[in-house]
Amino acid sequence: MPPAISISGVTKQYGPVTAVDSVDLEIEAGQVYALLGPNGAGKTTLIEILEGYRQRDAGHVSVLGFDPQRQRGELNRRVGIVLQRSTPMEGLTPREMLNFSARLYDDPMNTDDALELVGLAEHADRRGSKLSGGQKRRLDLATSVIGNPDLIFLDEPTTGFDATARRQAWEVVRGLTARGATVILTTHYLDEAEHLAQKIGLIKDGRIIFEGDIAGLRREMETETRISWQPPNELDLTELPGEWQPIRAGPDGRLSLPTQSPTVDLSRLIEWARQRGLDEIPELQVERPDLEEMYLELVDDSQSLGQAEGS
Amino acid sequence: MSAANTVRTLRLGFFYMLLNLKTIYRQPAALFFVVAFPIMFLVIFSSLLTFEIGIPEEAGGQVPVVTFSQYFVAGIMGVAIFGTSFNLLGTSLAIQQFDGTLKQLAATPLPRTSFFIGLVGTALTYTVLQLIIMLILGVVAYGIDLPDAAGWLTLIWIVLLGVPAGCVLGIAITKIIPSANAAPAVIQAPFIILQFISGVFFTLASLPTALQWIAGVFPLRWIAQGLRSVFLPDAYRYAEPGMSWQLELAAIVLAVWIVVGLGLSVLTFKWDRSG
Repeated sequence: MPPAISISGVTKQYGPVTAVDSVDLEIEAGQVYALLGPNGAGKTTLIEILEGYRQRDAGHVSVLGFDPQRQRGELNRRVGIVLQRSTPMEGLTPREMLNFSARLYDDPMNTDDALELVGLAEHADRRGSKLSGGQKRRLDLATSVIGNPDLIFLDEPTTGFDATARRQAWEVVRGLTARGATVILTTHYLDEAEHLAQKIGLIKDGRIIFEGDIAGLRREMETETRISWQPPNELDLTELPGEWQPIRAGPDGRLSLPTQSPTVDLSRLIEWARQRGLDEIPELQVERPDLEEMYLELVDDSQSLGQAEGS
Repeated sequence: MSAANTVRTLRLGFFYMLLNLKTIYRQPAALFFVVAFPIMFLVIFSSLLTFEIGIPEEAGGQVPVVTFSQYFVAGIMGVAIFGTSFNLLGTSLAIQQFDGTLKQLAATPLPRTSFFIGLVGTALTYTVLQLIIMLILGVVAYGIDLPDAAGWLTLIWIVLLGVPAGCVLGIAITKIIPSANAAPAVIQAPFIILQFISGVFFTLASLPTALQWIAGVFPLRWIAQGLRSVFLPDAYRYAEPGMSWQLELAAIVLAVWIVVGLGLSVLTFKWDRSG
């Protein structure tokens, strides 16, 4: 089976900012692939290039064998798209919306089945304006699958949801994926990628910096050990040995030293403290941060750069 | 385009029209502004102004006197024909461009032609509905004389050309609407000006030539003039520019708006301004 999506060297520039930087990607048919990354990493730009909303500046793109830039009409018949924002027509009910959507496709699902699949059956005849945020999102999901698509794009399907609503949405997405379609999901939640995807692409600053499954991501990111402590006020920070830079300082002034050789560095630290008459280093800790912590740092890091998502 | 494709395009256009009709029908505010406004004008003006309209001198005194309502129904029906489509499309398209509705729609296999057919069909349906209400009200409450056979025919082609022409301007004006909130204001300003310079409330001949020229570029002036030929005695054409109803010219101007304007505004139409 040919890959559902195959792209190479895809680049998109907005003025001086390179939103997507020469990305190569191959997504197998039938796979659930999560494009994971912080806000502003380029997820939405990349996915909108694949959907046909945005024109790439360079590179080759094949989605289900079509070039979204030139063959969007053909592509639209075979993909389902859930955008970041819900926009049901307020005066219409989910059933009316879905009945209309079903007419657009050659081989649509039954409206009742689609409603059932997303758990909207009991709200099928309620006006769009009276649906909750989560129910609107379910309607988006139902609309995206009513045409029995081969490929489904889900752009941040649970952003803004509370924990319960997110879990419910995951159940719905699992139901969709069980139908055998390829699914591409963007998210900035690590747990969402972990729960839904077989394969994860971690994107940052427009580049895919990791690709693989969650276990691989764990191995990749959890290699680093950290020695951290609370420096006593009377000690001058500039006296630290040069090769220990960079040392991260927490909000409470706590210092943290990432290291690949914790034993060597720890004994060096103890020696350094002892020379300054400090036999006990306050709050000394040696730890291996887990994937969640590493990911949160990555997200924080890029948010501090003040980049905005997309547009 | 193959025959099967044409059928599909028309069929989906029809269903998109039904969807739109339903949406508007369920929004009391939209229904009021789009449908009830011109009818309200007809009622207010016809109730307040009960004088009769004078005789054009050029006709040599042989002209029957008509009531104000008989004169005004032509203008206000012109407003309904042009304004319903212009307001409806301008407002709803602008809102849907900014809230992402059209972005979502652009990802479906709905043919663009079906989309625009559905919109014109929606405007046409609500316009015909208004005109029927106006005619019934006009006859029953204000004693308006119904047109003769030729008049009915003129009325029909003016509706069939006037509504799509109004739609074209509605689609086109979305280009200068900066945000969804600004839509009603941006649409009302030119609409009100057009009503005053297009012979709806005042006769065309009483306007400065420059304003007559400006009005002559837009559809409303020609729609209103054509409708006066439908509702007023023939001798009243002496009060028109060129002492004629100018029906051929009206048909040409409206057709040009539809063919050229629709092509241009559809090709440059923005499906997504939500970003």
